[in-house]
Parts: sequence; C-alpha cells; structure tokens
Amino acid sequence: MIVPISAYLPEALALAGALLTFLMDAAGVRQRSVVGGFSVLFYSLALLSVLGDLSVVPFTLFATVPSSLLSAGAVGPIQFTPLGLLWQAILLSAALLVAFASLSEAEGDREVPIFYGLLALATLGMLLVTLSADLIFLLLSVEITGISTYVLVAYARKDPRALEASMKFYLIGALSTAISFFGASLIYGAYGSTALARLADIPPGGNGTQMALVGLGLLMVGLGFKVTAVPFHMWAVDVYDGAPDHVSAFLAAGSKKMGIFAMIVVFVAAEDVVYTASSAWALYVALGGLALVTMTVGNILALQQRTMKRMLAYSSISQAGYLLIGLAVASPAGLAGATIQAVAHVLMKGGAFLFVAAMATLGIGSRIEDYRGLGHSHPVTTASFAVLLLSLAGIPLTLGFVGKFYLFASAVEKPGLFVVLAIAGLLNSAASVFYYARVLRIMYMVEPPAEATSERRWTPAVAHLADPGNDPSAPPSSAPSAAVAVGESTPRAPAKEAARSLDPITPLSRSNLGMRLRDEVRTIGIARWTAIVLCAALTIILGIYPTPLIDLANHAANSFFSGLP
Amino acid sequence: MPWLSALLAISLVGAFVTFLTGRYARWAALGVSLATLVTVLAIMMEFQPSVNVNGPGYCQQGGFQFCELHTWFTYAAPGGGFSVDYLVGIDGISLPLILLSAIVTIAAVVYHWEEKKDPHGFFGLMLLTNAGCIGVFVSLDVLLFFVFWEIVLIPMFFLIGHWGGPRRHYAALKFFVYTHVASVTMFVALLAMVFLGDWHSFDFVNTFGRQSQDAYLNPIVQALLFGSLLFGFGVKLPMVPFHTWLPDAHVEAPTGGSVLLAGILLKLGGYGLLRLASPLLPTGRELLTPVMLFLAFASIVWGAYLSLAQRDLKRVVAYSSINHMGIVLLAIALWTQLGVMAAVLLMFAHGLVSALLFMVSGSMHHTFGTRDIPSVGGLTARTPVLSTMLMIGSLASLGLPALVSFPAEFSAFLAAWNGLGYWVLLPLMALVVTAAFYLWMLQRLAFGPPKGIPEKAHDLSFPEVMGMSLLVGLIVLYGILPFLIEQVIPVSALFSVACSAGPLHNGLIGGACTSFQW
Repeated sequence: MIVPISAYLPEALALAGALLTFLMDAAGVRQRSVVGGFSVLFYSLALLSVLGDLSVVPFTLFATVPSSLLSAGAVGPIQFTPLGLLWQAILLSAALLVAFASLSEAEGDREVPIFYGLLALATLGMLLVTLSADLIFLLLSVEITGISTYVLVAYARKDPRALEASMKFYLIGALSTAISFFGASLIYGAYGSTALARLADIPPGGNGTQMALVGLGLLMVGLGFKVTAVPFHMWAVDVYDGAPDHVSAFLAAGSKKMGIFAMIVVFVAAEDVVYTASSAWALYVALGGLALVTMTVGNILALQQRTMKRMLAYSSISQAGYLLIGLAVASPAGLAGATIQAVAHVLMKGGAFLFVAAMATLGIGSRIEDYRGLGHSHPVTTASFAVLLLSLAGIPLTLGFVGKFYLFASAVEKPGLFVVLAIAGLLNSAASVFYYARVLRIMYMVEPPAEATSERRWTPAVAHLADPGNDPSAPPSSAPSAAVAVGESTPRAPAKEAARSLDPITPLSRSNLGMRLRDEVRTIGIARWTAIVLCAALTIILGIYPTPLIDLANHAANSFFSGLP
Repeated sequence: MPWLSALLAISLVGAFVTFLTGRYARWAALGVSLATLVTVLAIMMEFQPSVNVNGPGYCQQGGFQFCELHTWFTYAAPGGGFSVDYLVGIDGISLPLILLSAIVTIAAVVYHWEEKKDPHGFFGLMLLTNAGCIGVFVSLDVLLFFVFWEIVLIPMFFLIGHWGGPRRHYAALKFFVYTHVASVTMFVALLAMVFLGDWHSFDFVNTFGRQSQDAYLNPIVQALLFGSLLFGFGVKLPMVPFHTWLPDAHVEAPTGGSVLLAGILLKLGGYGLLRLASPLLPTGRELLTPVMLFLAFASIVWGAYLSLAQRDLKRVVAYSSINHMGIVLLAIALWTQLGVMAAVLLMFAHGLVSALLFMVSGSMHHTFGTRDIPSVGGLTARTPVLSTMLMIGSLASLGLPALVSFPAEFSAFLAAWNGLGYWVLLPLMALVVTAAFYLWMLQRLAFGPPKGIPEKAHDLSFPEVMGMSLLVGLIVLYGILPFLIEQVIPVSALFSVACSAGPLHNGLIGGACTSFQW
C-alpha cells in the first residue's frame, strides 16, 4: 500500500517549524512572541491532525491518515498504528505544553529561535519514532531527538552548569547509542533483517535465540539510558538539574516517553511471542527487575533530596519504573496502563517542572525550603502544583491514580510472579507520599520568616514599602506577605514595580483574592500560568472521568497485540 | 430520587463553594452542613429498617437501600475484564454513622463560628473531610471506598498542619504518612481479595453469601488478607499497638480538627472492619478472632491506664478514645448480632461524646491558655458553663446511664458476656479505671478552690455554647431514647452476621442469606 504524502502532516509540520524558525533567525526575527507563536501554531495543527486521526475530536479537517492505513502493516520502515498515533498525540502535547509555556520566558536574546528550532527538531524525531517499523529507522529517529536535546540543554550558552549538563548528556547519550546499535547489529545477525515485525518470530538457526537475546539485552541497556531506568539513570538528575527549566520539562515529559515507546515496540512483541513460547523468562525477568529497581531506587533517592528539581528528577525516575511495569507485564492491559500513565506523566512532570521554572523566574531559590509560604502568595499555581504532586503520589481522583491502578491491576492479573511488581509498586507509592507531603507541608504550612525574606528577596529600592507603618490600609499581620508579594516581582523590573506599588489606587494589601490572582498571573506570565493550571485541571478531569482515555488506550493496545503474528 | 448522590453532591460541592466564599465562609459552611443534615434526616425518614432479599436489584437483595449504580470506568483484561462502578447504598450499619458525620460537622462549624485564621480554608476543609467520610460510608465498591478513604486524609493533613498547635508540622506529617501506609496496606489486601477471589467486579455486594463456599479463598490466604485489613483499619481505629499517631495528631490539631478526627475519622476504621473485613473474609476472621480479642483487651486496658497518667486534657480524651475504640473492636470481634449492634451504637455514642470533650478542652485552652490539668482548678466557681459541659462529657464518656454511651457499652458487654463468659471481667475492670480517671480529672479541674484562672477569664462564648449544646442535647436524647437510633441497626446486623458465617462458625453455611427472612 502506498502511503499518501498527506499522512505525514504532523511530521511535516514539525520539520517546517524547525526550518522556518532557523530561517527567521537568519532573517533577524527573534521576538519570542513571533517565533514561539509559530511553533505553538504548528504543534497545535499537528496535534489536531493526530487527534482527528484518532477520532477523538469531531473536527476532522486535518485528519489525514486513512483508516485502511492503520491496519495495513509495515510499509518499508514506516508503520501507522493506533498505538503509534496515540503516543504521537502524547508526545506532541508535551512539545506543545513546553512551547506554549515558554512564551512567558523573559523576552529574548539571540537564543530564542535556537530554542524553538531545536525543540521542533526534537519533536520531529519523537514523531518519527512512533512511526517506526524498522529497528534502524527507530534508532536513527531516537538519535535525531537525542542530538537536538544535547544542544537544547546547552542553548543558554553562558551558564556553566547547563554546559556541564549538556556534556554529560552528550557523552552518556553517545555511549547509549553505540550500545543500541551494537544490539541492533546482533539482531540483524540473528534474524537477517531489522524489521521490528520479525522480532515476534523465533529466529532461524540453532543459536539464533541466544544471539537475539544478547542483542535485545544490549538494546535494553541502550534504551534504558533514554528512559532513565536504574542503573542507567546517573546522568538524568544532573542533566535535569543543570538544564534550563523548560528544557527539563521537555526532557521529562517528552523525550523520556519516546524512550518508553521505543522499548514497547522493541520488547513487547518479542516477549509476547517468542520467549513465552520457548519459556525463556530472561526478558520478563530483566524488564521486571528493571522496573522494580528503577522505582525503588528512584524513590529512595528522591526521599533524600533538598532541591526541588533534583527531587522531581528522582521522582521522575521512579515514575519511569512504574511505566516499565506495563512493559514487563506485556499484556494489553499492561500496555494500556503504560499509555494512560504516560499521559499522566506528561501532565504531571511537565506541569511540575514548569512550576519550578515559574518560581525560579520570580527569584525563589531552588531548595525545597525556599518554597515555604507559596500557598499564600501564589494560591492558584501552588494549588495546581499540589494537585500534580498528589497525582504523582497516586492519590485517587487524579489521573496518576488511574494509571497506577491500571498498571498494578495488570500485574496482579497476569499469572506468575508479576504480583511482586504490583506489591512493590504499591509500597513505593506509599513511601513516595512522604516526600510529596513534605513539599505540600512547606508550601502551605510554613510561613516565610520575615528575616529570611529580607535577606533573600527584598531589594533596597522597595524595602521601605514593606514597613507596615507606611501603609495604613494593611493590617500589621499581613505585612510580611505583602512584602513577599512586592519582593517577588522585583527581580524582573524593580523600578516599575516600585512605582506601581506607590500608586495610591493599588494599595499593598493583598488580602483581596482577585488582586492576588491578577498579580500572580502577571508575575508568572499568562502563558505559563495557563499551562500549569491546565495540566492540573486535566489531571483532575481525566482522573474523575477517565473513560474516554481508557477506551482509546485499550483500543490502541488491543490493536497492537492483534497486529502481532 | 438519587438521595445518596444528592447527599454526596451537597457535601462535596458545598465544601468547594465554601472554600471560595471568602469572608462569608462561615455562613456558607453553616448552610452546607445544615443542608447535609436535612438530607440525612430525609433519608432516615425514608429508610426501612428491614431487609428485602426479594428486592428489585441485587444491591437490595444484598441488604442495602437507596442503591445507585453507574459505571465509572472499565478495566479491560483478556479474561473478560470488569467495570469499576459508582455503586452506593446504605443499610442499618452505615446510616447511624452518616447521621453522626452530619451532626458532628454542624456542631464543629458552629463551635468555630469566630475562627479568624483563613476561615474559608478551615471550613472548606472541614466540610471536605465530612464529605469524604460520608462517601466512605455509602460506597459499596471497593475502589470507590478507597477513593473516598484517601480523600479524607488530605483535608485532615492540612487542618492539622495549618491550623494546629506548635508541633503541628510533625503531627500532620506523621498522621499523613502513618495512615497512608495503613491505607495502602488495606488497598493491597482489598485488591488481592478481588483478584484472588475471582470476583470479576469491585462491588462487594455481589459477594455476600458467596464467601462461605469452599471454592472461595483458602483459610491461610483469608487469614493473611484479614490480618492486612486488620492492620489497615486498626491504624485508623486506632488499636494498640498502632495508636501512636493519635495522641500527636489530636494534641496538635485545632479543636475542629480533633472533633472531626475523634468524631468521624476513627469510625472509618470500625466501619471498614464491619463492612469489608469481617463479612468478606469469614474464615480469616474466625482464625484471627483471638488476635482481635487480644488487641481489643490491650487497647481497652492500655488506653485506660495511659489516660490516667496524662496531665493534658486533650491527651486524656485522646487516650480514652483508644479505650473506647477498643470496646468497639471487642464488639466487632464477637461478630454476633448484638455485638455488631453494640459496635455501631458505641461508635455513634463515642462520636458525640468525644466531640463534646474535645470542644471542652479546646475552650479550656482558649480560656486559660493551658490544658494542663494540675495547674487549673475550681472551674465550677468561675466558669460554670464550661464546667457543666466538662461534667456532662466526662459522665457520658464513663458510661453513666441515661446518657448515650450507656446503652452502647451495656450491649457491648452483654454481647461479650454471651460470647466470652467470665473473660468479660477483664475489660470491665478497665472500665473502673476509665471511671476513675474521669472522676479524678473532674475532681481536680471542676471542684475545689479556684486556681490558675486568669482574672479576665471569661466563660464560653455564645457559638461555643451552641455547638456544645447541640451535642449535649443529642447525648441526652439518645441516652434516654436509644431506640431512636438503635431501631435501624438490628436487621442489618443480623443479616451481615448470618450472611458471613464461615464454615467454622456454628454450622451455618452458604445459603443462609438467600433464605434470610425478617
């Protein structure tokens, strides 16, 4: 079957976005609103197209993949599947989220087009991964994203921490690529082909199985780096910590999901057919062990962190462990669970890292203690962050709970020792509550002490404004919070802030909720504020009414399995 | 009319609305809690104290009323999969506890009428706690039960952590982590019960009457699962030795938080044992009955003696809660009709009485700046109203006839006598200690020459009196006319006991429920 060229609309849009952005750079157009606006437009169109293909939205103007193509099997190295399209939607949402929120970053310097261009290239790679029907095509697509993200981490060229992170990321990434390709060569040796569909067959020849197993094992290591599975996770925390905040959001929400999808297409078929039949448990044990170790180690290390980004990075590692349960179980329910959890993870981790980014631009420190009292000064975003943390912890009525429930239930249901994974996952969830609750406690229950505030946030230009005697309308008890509200906004435009605060029409008192809200939106930036709140809202809405998402995931997972020989 | 959904919607939506109302929060809270109470009363009017095993649906045949069933989401699996349902319904075991939640919440709202610190958050979280508890009491689906169970944790965490005493952060975190570990253990056991027992559904009405068949889970598995559930629910109850979070949480919580904690939250543990653990795992319960009895005795004795040793009034009440919930555990462990009735009644009584006592200790702290018993004395002379409330609360708690605890404790010990014979003397001896510590506390606090009372000490404010009077009125009302609440329980209690009689239990087998007649 011939694939109509229009079927590649999302990929074409991503590529066009990248090229257009670099052209704009050359033409000297560097305004964030213009460059970013184009990216957001392109991603939105691509997402609409994919959602139309999945018939999620009734709006099918951009639906370009004919349904016959979805069941046609591989066409060369390309294959359109419902599962791939669903993951395209997930990955595009991650890119869209980051691109949209980045509109609120400080107005640009020369690097704005670079950021958006590289983001578009990385997105292109991720989209191609979901179309792969061939191992080499898959690994090359992974590499497109890989190389783009190495540079993306270092796009803020003056930041030595980002450069160090980028270097680390690059070295580890190169190593993992080498290992993956070595694995692929062994697979080719065993099968005489690199088509992914062949992995579901028993390799020809006597020792074929052994060679294929070694090849798959090497692929597991190589892709394990991408999904930050323990023990291949060492780079992740340093990179997430050192990278610019929005890039961290993209790495956690986007490129990790890509690794998970690559592992799904490589391993699930192999597990389900060959190695069950020949009762070789090696793959199950390896993937199950990887899941077990990843979630446990991620959690234990997250417990000990003092800075917010590192805590989120380790919790992201443990979340990868939960996702791997779905792969280890390798049943339709497990795959559906992994898909649901991936959606949840995009929202949770994307939103959480964006929140950290927002707080960083307000001049709030990176330690977890620096977040004290945010619940009072930034009520809406902090509440959203709290929802995202609760979802990460797997508290019911959030999407995180539905995903985990699905994953754990699929593990319990599969005969064999898979129930161990479910129990370990539940215990890990229980333990993880401790560090999430600690953040909630600090944000809502600890008042920011006045002295610390003066040290950290006040600038001489506005310090006198915080004196309660200066402002008769503010009751003395509210003075510290008023000071915080002023102090927070100073790093960006001190003079303007001070002038505004002196204006008698806008008193300093922040007792009025509407005022506080307006302040919050203004200081964080409307786009970023919307993105964070949207993440939290979707987490709750899909947590309460998950049926549409579950139906989609089930359909995709079932069609994946029915496509297997 | 979907009464239970209406009840849930009023309490849940009301909580969020209250959160948004700002300075009118207290009026919103009062309105919401009144609406909740009115709905509960309407449900009570409609409630039939009988079981209709020939009812229109299997939920009715399972002994429940006001049933509503909607699919929430489905879990697809090769073996057919199943749906997770929104299945709610009530029977005589849950109805008194729902009424209790509504009453205690309204009393707490009135008591805190003059709350100054972020009142919208305070009232909103209290109402959310109430909504979660009502949700637990009406859920007939394991997953829905767990969802509401977890919802309860979050507002209570914030109530303790934001409005609490000096060590509130430690107490809030300890409360959250301790009870969350317990609920995850509970969840593991519940899931295992569903999957190993081949339920093909999460609703547990379906399984009433099936548990006694031989094909159901084997005894060892049942015992393991029951043990996990006993731990999960026992932490909430709390039973010795898993009670250590309770004194910390109570002492640091704001008065309203303590009132809800003692008044409603502790009942969740007892309710879980009554509704899920005991009927669904009959063999496990039979095997572990000695353990339950031992832990019940330990809680009764240990709680009583620890109360005797406390100086802080709030700690006295907190440890006496452990003592009373020990009696509840004892009554549940007996698993007879009278025992189940006694457990429900006792939880109802303890909810009212401990709420009153926590209000008294909150007011004492408010008035005198301390809750230290030895340093204050002679309340009767200087603050007669507070002193009266303290006396009524203490006397009710030690089980004085004509107050609400008496019929409950009497039935509990009667059931224990029927089931255990002379062993009942052991908890009865502890009852003497309970009486002793209350009377001793009264002697030191209420009587004698005034001591440690500041010159400007004022008696209770009007809202405080109103909040407490509501509870006092009901304590007396239900003490004199216990049948008002008791009449709804016996049929459901008997049904629950008869339908879950395990093979080891006096020869009743399966089938007992299908031929159930009342």
